[in-house]
Amino acid sequence: MSEDRTHLTAERRSEFGKGAARRIRRASKIPAVMYGHGSEPVHITLPGHETMLALKNVNALLTITLDGEEQLALAKDVQRDPIKPVIEHVDLVIVKKGEKVTVDVPVHVEGEAGPETVVTVDSQTLQLEVEATNIPESLVVSVEGLEAGTQIVAGQVELPAGAALLVDEDTLVVNITQQISEEALEAELAEAEAEAGIEKDETDEEAAEGDEAAAEGESEAPAEESDSE
Amino acid sequence: MLIPRRVKHRKQHHPGRSGAAKGGTTIAFGDYGMQALEPAYVTNRQIESARIAMTRYMKRGGKVWINIYPDRPLTKKPAETRMGSGKGSPEWWVANVKPGRVMFEISGVSEEVAREAMRLAMHKLPMKCRFVAREGGDF
Repeated sequence: MSEDRTHLTAERRSEFGKGAARRIRRASKIPAVMYGHGSEPVHITLPGHETMLALKNVNALLTITLDGEEQLALAKDVQRDPIKPVIEHVDLVIVKKGEKVTVDVPVHVEGEAGPETVVTVDSQTLQLEVEATNIPESLVVSVEGLEAGTQIVAGQVELPAGAALLVDEDTLVVNITQQISEEALEAELAEAEAEAGIEKDETDEEAAEGDEAAAEGESEAPAEESDSE
Repeated sequence: MLIPRRVKHRKQHHPGRSGAAKGGTTIAFGDYGMQALEPAYVTNRQIESARIAMTRYMKRGGKVWINIYPDRPLTKKPAETRMGSGKGSPEWWVANVKPGRVMFEISGVSEEVAREAMRLAMHKLPMKCRFVAREGGDF
């Protein structure tokens, strides 16, 4: 549970737009906006490093100190640079103690499923309604010893006290399937390699070149152009 | 190999290569992913080759997702042909990948196995890539 809150000291922002936002980012700070509970949105600046560390935890509950006043807030949206590990902007939503909030909680799979099985997590998160001060870090699903063909749906996931599931109870969360047999995998890869023209031995490569050229004529032929213009 | 079944126009302009990926920059399905760091045209052959490299290394344990699709045709004029006489014939099918795009995802294997499988697959692709883990891992 995210009971140990992170304290961040925010500064009120008076200038807006990309120029101002870039100046803030250059000063190792993060532009943010805070809203909720019918109040006017407040544009603020957060300390860069501390905010980045705080937002490493999913659904982290933050205590924002602004003009000497403390407010609880949840990160509603975090804009990140697609390549650099930089947070560009944060949307914070104000919450009150004891208030119920809707959050997406990650699913964590534990244990080893039965032999010759593949465990696939179909729903990486589940939407829950929980108290803002008691948001679970993750929902643990045990797959210990489960056989192929077993499916765990949202209704079967153990929820923390006071939490309510907001998605359909029949939503598939974890699917345990049979591993593909070695022969089938080898055959599938060999076929794919032949189609893509991947060969290992030089002698085989020469032999396959003729086939490849013939296969290319079929598979690489441009897709049919539709006349429905 | 991945190839569109039907297209509206057989010959297209070259896709734009500027800018970063607008979406698909985070891991959506698996536990680990391969993120492009440079723009590139990835052909269906390269995608298939990378998939095979990953699957061969992981053997039967894991699952692979391919998040890109080669839906753009590139044309080529035959060798020793004079200029003019219209556009060449479609030669390759490519995915227009921008920096930041998570192209492949893996689940069901340990991080070491995923890292090595991705490393092998990266050698099949025409751009620099990096290994990324689900949120809380890399960033």
